[in-house]
Amino acid sequence: MLYIHQSTCISPQQTFLEVDLNTVHASSDNKLKVIEPTYEGIPPGILRRMGKAVRIGVGSALPLLKAVSLDGFIIGTANGGMEDCIKFLNQIIQYDEGLLTPGNFVQSTPNAIAGQLGLLTKNKGYNITHVHRGLSFENAAIDAMMMLHEYPSNNYLLGAVDEISAYNYNIDYLSGWYKKEMLSNKELYQTNSAGSIAGESAVMFIVNGDETNAVARLRGIQTLHTTDENSIEKQVNVFIQKHLPDEEKIDLLLSGENGDNRLSKYYTVVESSIGKTTARFKHISGEYATASSFAVWLATQILTTQKVPSHMLQKSGQPSIIKNILIYNNYKGAQHSFILLTKGN
Amino acid sequence: MSRIVVTGIGVISAIGNTVAENRMALQDGKCGISTLSLLPSKYAGLMPFGEIKITTEELKQKLRATEHGITRTSLLALHAFDEAIKDSQLSHDEITAIDTALIGASTVGGMCLTDELYNDANKNEGGSEYLSSYDCASVNIYLQERYKINGPVNTINTACSSSANAIMFGVRLIKAGIVSRAIVGGVDSLAKFTINGFNALHILSADICAPFDEQRKGLNLGEGAAFLVLEKEEDAANKKIYAEVSGYCNANDSFHPSSLSDEGDGPYLSMKGALEVAGLTADKIGFINAHGTATENNDMVESTAMLRLFGTPPAFASTKSNIGHTLGAAGAIEAVYSILNLTRQEVYAGLNCHQPISATGLVPVQAYKKMPLQHVMSNSFGFAGNCTSLIFSTI
Repeated sequence: MLYIHQSTCISPQQTFLEVDLNTVHASSDNKLKVIEPTYEGIPPGILRRMGKAVRIGVGSALPLLKAVSLDGFIIGTANGGMEDCIKFLNQIIQYDEGLLTPGNFVQSTPNAIAGQLGLLTKNKGYNITHVHRGLSFENAAIDAMMMLHEYPSNNYLLGAVDEISAYNYNIDYLSGWYKKEMLSNKELYQTNSAGSIAGESAVMFIVNGDETNAVARLRGIQTLHTTDENSIEKQVNVFIQKHLPDEEKIDLLLSGENGDNRLSKYYTVVESSIGKTTARFKHISGEYATASSFAVWLATQILTTQKVPSHMLQKSGQPSIIKNILIYNNYKGAQHSFILLTKGN
Repeated sequence: MSRIVVTGIGVISAIGNTVAENRMALQDGKCGISTLSLLPSKYAGLMPFGEIKITTEELKQKLRATEHGITRTSLLALHAFDEAIKDSQLSHDEITAIDTALIGASTVGGMCLTDELYNDANKNEGGSEYLSSYDCASVNIYLQERYKINGPVNTINTACSSSANAIMFGVRLIKAGIVSRAIVGGVDSLAKFTINGFNALHILSADICAPFDEQRKGLNLGEGAAFLVLEKEEDAANKKIYAEVSGYCNANDSFHPSSLSDEGDGPYLSMKGALEVAGLTADKIGFINAHGTATENNDMVESTAMLRLFGTPPAFASTKSNIGHTLGAAGAIEAVYSILNLTRQEVYAGLNCHQPISATGLVPVQAYKKMPLQHVMSNSFGFAGNCTSLIFSTI
C-alpha cells in the first residue's frame, strides 16, 4: 500500500513551500511557466550547469531530502531536459558535427534528474526514470507501489518533471496540441477549438507503506491506451468497483479537461459516470505529459484543507466531506489514467 | 511465488537479423562493427560502428510497416518484437489481453531523425510527418497501436541500463500480480545525436573496441533491438522455456553524471543485489556477460567490482566487441545472449583483448567453448551511475 506523507511542487502557481491556491497566476503567450524559487541548497557551480528540467526537479525535491532516509528515487518525465537536448542537437547541425562540448548531451538524458538526486544525496539505492509520454508519472507511481509491496518498510521519493521548452512547444504546436488563437488561462474551458495551453511542473512526494500520519493513500491507479470513449466509460466503473468498497463513494472528480474540444467527449463520459462534484486544474497548470502529478499534489492539498479552490469547481458548491478523490486525465486523446486517492487517517 | 520464465526471444543487431543468426555469429567470433554505410555522418569514415546493413526503406517493406511517421528505431523494435512473440507462440488474444504488458526501453527514440527534429523543433509552421515520433515512448506506442495491446505499456530510459531495467520492471509487474505476462525489451538506432554526444565525451574509439584490454581506447556505438516474452512458469507448462529470470537489481553509483567511481559501488551493489534476489551465492554464477564497453573507466571499474564481489570472478566477456554499444537495446540484446549461453551451454569469445588490464589481470573468455552453466549474470551500467544486473538460470 502506498501512502503519501510529504510533498512539494514547483508549478506556474504559488505552490512551493508557501501555498496559495486561491490566486490564479495568468498565462502568457498560451504558456503557464513555473515560478522558480531561489534554490538555496544547490551548490552554485552545479546549479549553473543545470537545465530547467533538472533544476526544478532537483529544486523541488531538496526540502524533502532531509526529512527521511530514502531508499531510492522514482521519477516520471516524458522529455527530461528537452532544452538541453535540442541545444545539443542545434550544435550538431550548426557546427556540422564539429567539436562539441558534452554538457548539454549529459544533461539531456531524462535520467539526469533522478541521477542528480542520487548524486547529491550519495544515495545508492533504486534509481529509475519512466518516460512513457503522458503516462510517465503513472508508471512511476505503479513502480513505487510495487517497491513498497516488495520492501514495505522503505521510503521512496516519487516525482515527475516536465518543462516547456521552445522546442517541445513548437513540436506540439505544429501537431495541433496547443491553441492557434491566444487566450487567457481563465477562459480555457469556454473555448470551442482544438488544442490547449502549455504547462510545466516539478512535483515530488515522500511515499512509504506506513499509514500513520499519512496525508493520503494511493488506493489504485490504472493506465489505458485507447481512443474509444466507450471503453473509458466502461473502465472507469470497473476501476471504481475494484478499488472502492461498496459503502464508500467518490466525493470529488478531479478532471484533466484541457479546453481541447476534441477531447471533451472523454471527460464528459467520466463526469456522467461519476455524477459528483467536478473540479478542473489545467487552467492553473497548463497541459503537459506529467500534469497528472500536479493533480495528485492538488488532491493532497484538497484532502488536507477539505476545500476546493472555487476557480477549480465546474459548478459552484463545495462537497461537504472530501474523503475519496478520483483523478481522470488523458493525454492527446490516446493515453488515459485513473488515480484514486483517499484521505489519510 | 512462481518462477518467471522466458518463453520467447527476438533480436536484431549488426551480426544478425534473428536469434539464430546472432548465435551463429557469436559462435564464429564474428564482428559486425565496420564503417558506416547507411547513416550519413561526418564520422562515417573516421570511426567504426555496429550498423545494421538494412536500409530503413527495406525494413519498412520487409515488415509491411509503412505507417505515417514510422522511424528506424520503431522498425528495429518491431523486427525483434515480431520474432519474440512468434517464438513464444503468443496468440492474438494473449497479446491483446489486459493482463499482457509491454515494457520497452530506448534512449534515442525518434531522435535518429536528427535533421528532421532540428527542423521541426526550430520552426513554427509546416511540420514533418515525424512530429509524434521523436520521443522515446513513440516506439512502444507504435507497437501498442499495431498490436492493439490493451494491458499496461511503459517506456524506461535510464541511459545504457534502460532495457535491463525494462526486463526487471516486467518481472516485477508479473510478480506483483498486475499482469500475467510481459513482453519486455529495448531498442536504439544509430543517430548523429548519440554519435556526437559520445564523441564530445571523448569515449568513442577510432578502432574496433577492445573490452578489458589494457590498451582499450573507448567504445563503438551500435544499433539493434531485442525483446523477450516473460510468463509465469505454470502458465508456460506446454511451452518451450528458455530460462528463468531469477535475479535482478538496480543500484546507483552516485559518483559522477557520466563516469563510475573507482571503487565501483554501483556495479558491486547491483551484482550483489541480483544474487540476493536470486538467493544465490557468488560462486554459483558460471558466466558474466559484462557491460564491458571498452572505455577506460567502465572496464576498470567493472573489473574492480567483480573482484570485490567474486574474489576470483567466473568466466566473463563482453559482446560489445561483436555489435558495439547499443545503448537502450544493450541490456535486452545481452539478455538474449545470456539465454543463449544457458540453453546452448556455451560461451563466446570476447574479441580483441590481447593484453589484459595489468592492474587486474582479468582475462575475458578468449575462444568459443562448451561449458556447463546454471546461472549467467548480465550487467548494464548507464550514465548518472545507473547500474543494473540480471541473472538468468536454467530451469
